[in-house]
Amino acid sequence: MKKTLLSTAILSAALAVGMSTVQASDFPNKPLTLVVGFGAGGSTDIQARVLANVLEDELGQPVNVVNQPGAGGGIALTRLANNSDEGYTFAFGTSMTITYGPLATETAYQLDDFRYVAGVTLGQSAIVTGEDRPFGDSWESLVEFARENPGTSYATQTALDRMIIEYISQKEGLDLRIVPTAGGAGMAPLILSGDVDFAYSGGTHSGYAESGEMPVLLSLAEERLVAFPDAPSMQEAGYDINPAEIRVVMVPKNTPDAHVERLAEALEAATQDERFIEITEERILMPVVYLSEDEVTQTLTEQTESYKALIEELGGVPGANE
Amino acid sequence: MPELSAITGAFGDALTLHSISVILGGVLLGYLVGVIPGLNRSVAIAIAIPLTFYMSAYAAIAFLIGLSKGTAAGSAVSAILLNTPGEPSSAATCLDGYPMAKNGQPRKALKVGLLASVIGDLLSTLLLIAVVIPFASVALKFGPYELAAILIFALVFIAGMAGGSFLKGMAAGGMGVILGTVGLDPETGAMRLTFGFAELMEGVPILPLVIGTLALSEMFVQLDEYRRTKGGSSVRLGHNPDDDLSYGEFKKTLPTIFKSTGVGAFVGALPGLGPSVGSFMAYGLAKRGSKDPHSFGKGNPNGIAAAEAADNAVIPASYIPLFGLGIPGSVSAALLVGAFMIHGIQVGPLMLRDHPQMLFTIFAGMVVASLLMLAVGWYGLRIFAKVTNVPQNIVIPVVIFLCLAGIQVQGYGTFGLLTVFGFAIFGYFLKKHDYSFVTFLVAFIVTPMLEMNLRQSVILSGGEISILLQRPIALFFVVATVLMMLHLAWSSYRTYRQRRSVSL
Repeated sequence: MKKTLLSTAILSAALAVGMSTVQASDFPNKPLTLVVGFGAGGSTDIQARVLANVLEDELGQPVNVVNQPGAGGGIALTRLANNSDEGYTFAFGTSMTITYGPLATETAYQLDDFRYVAGVTLGQSAIVTGEDRPFGDSWESLVEFARENPGTSYATQTALDRMIIEYISQKEGLDLRIVPTAGGAGMAPLILSGDVDFAYSGGTHSGYAESGEMPVLLSLAEERLVAFPDAPSMQEAGYDINPAEIRVVMVPKNTPDAHVERLAEALEAATQDERFIEITEERILMPVVYLSEDEVTQTLTEQTESYKALIEELGGVPGANE
Repeated sequence: MPELSAITGAFGDALTLHSISVILGGVLLGYLVGVIPGLNRSVAIAIAIPLTFYMSAYAAIAFLIGLSKGTAAGSAVSAILLNTPGEPSSAATCLDGYPMAKNGQPRKALKVGLLASVIGDLLSTLLLIAVVIPFASVALKFGPYELAAILIFALVFIAGMAGGSFLKGMAAGGMGVILGTVGLDPETGAMRLTFGFAELMEGVPILPLVIGTLALSEMFVQLDEYRRTKGGSSVRLGHNPDDDLSYGEFKKTLPTIFKSTGVGAFVGALPGLGPSVGSFMAYGLAKRGSKDPHSFGKGNPNGIAAAEAADNAVIPASYIPLFGLGIPGSVSAALLVGAFMIHGIQVGPLMLRDHPQMLFTIFAGMVVASLLMLAVGWYGLRIFAKVTNVPQNIVIPVVIFLCLAGIQVQGYGTFGLLTVFGFAIFGYFLKKHDYSFVTFLVAFIVTPMLEMNLRQSVILSGGEISILLQRPIALFFVVATVLMMLHLAWSSYRTYRQRRSVSL
């Protein structure tokens, strides 16, 4: 034990003396921090912890996972935007925080405050419900049920899914009770206990794929979901939105090219790593991909434009003036 | 219900060399901290949390639990040899421990204390395991209404039970609630109480808060006392032939140990009461139930046994509300929540469903820790007796250094250091004026959970309070909270009147 104490002391002394004079070439030469903008226990968090393990091997330095939940990942990005440690702190999260976040709330960051090192997973978010609900497990019957039962409840986690549900309820003429929850770990008990009728899920539903406790009503990806092919996509259900989401690693804009390249290299290797593939494809049931910085940046820019147009159509950001 | 294989698997995990050495490390360090006067469990856990960042989640929790148990057993050593309790809950141990040591039987006193500690701890751990699993599966069915009602009840209960005046308890809890609401509004994303600091956007960081209020402020208090009282006279372990514990003598203390374990476990399971209440209550009961009450306070082994068994039994029992409902009822339980959060695990009934293996491994680890405690205490007797001589002027600066180093290593930077000092001053004030720490810390930790559940309840019910009629459990806790507040307000009004009439 004494040894641990001693090494902690030495480490802290070293940090205090000043590690800011790091050379770019030997990046990384000290522990890195992987920030997750969601609560512990959700799908992003589970995935990030495995990713951290893999990156640790690739980069040869410890990678610590830190949860900074809140505002649908926005809090973590606000902090990241102000970070100046040149890539030692990077965020792993969903693209909507960056595409929709700045449109929905007054954020201290914008799309071009970051570099998008690489996209590593295609999101499989969905609108889900619980077992044995009066409306069964199809989207159409839910809409019918909600139309006849004002006050049907929906659990929201992010500003984007809040806009989607507002758009849908406007279109379908629904009067919903929209309940906030913190991450998948906050949503799941509400759905499972039957307290809430239906909910947004970023990926937590995949944990219930086998048991069938969380039927998927609607796919919020570009296509139908890999693991739940019965649920229609947004387009198929008649809604003209493409909320497809990429899980992406971000660093502040001022991060040196050499550091971004080194990270991208490690991430590309991670997308080939058995551990990362297993947790992503078998456990949280999302396809692993590798999208380069250019590809990700272009997709995000296009999506941002389309959300802007939708907000205009809705006459403002839903939920903002309540 | 858990499967048998999960339980045997858990013991398999807890019995690997790695995990035994982690627990052993925790117990050893805890023992040392417990033996050193002035260092207590909260200080130990607060400064150890940063060390556990680099461990796996299980190792970190096992280490902290080992540490927590070790301090409880270790603090008996300084109580017996120095007449200075290593922490407040061992004050009752001094009553008979020190006289016995003075009479030339320090070894016997230490061994009675150790055996009572281990038995109390082990039995209470088994109780926790037996109770919490069925309890958690019921709690899983609770929705936002129930959780909000139970959390409010727990807060008021803790404020009322934590000792001192009810108003001070509520004030401490209120401070915790206010600090717990700092950050972004979970529904609208609006900034609250951040005063423009980006560092506060995700809330007041838990580590600086804990280290500041618990560890650093305690060092300020110790510095204060150090100036007034210098040095103690430690009883040395001699070669007195009469000074060993025989089986017959030990057997005589067993009934006291069992009874006191019961008292300790009961007190521990109620949030907010803490080990001091447990050990004094058990001591009082043992004395009253004894055939020879006059021998208490003069070196009766039953006095030591009562105090130590209860003191140690409180800790595992205080994890019943923690693992069952997610409500930390004691300072050390609140600190464990922090440690769990850091490792990405939500403590509470969901653990049973989401991380059953982890939960059982922790339980198995707790049993292992009890047994290691026995070995460490038994064979380390002589060494720990020497540790009681470490002077405060070495202890205090080392701990202050560790506090600041812990913050620095975690990368909180200048903001973190300033926060630590701010909270140290705040904690010093709380201690000097007898405001309850448990209430403050628990309120801070449960506030985000309480706020979320309360908001969900209000939205889901459309603000209709009549929803409670369909929710009997929630209604029960709402009524209980109201009655509790009335009772506490009335009794503190009565003490106030009594005091006034006395002073007139």
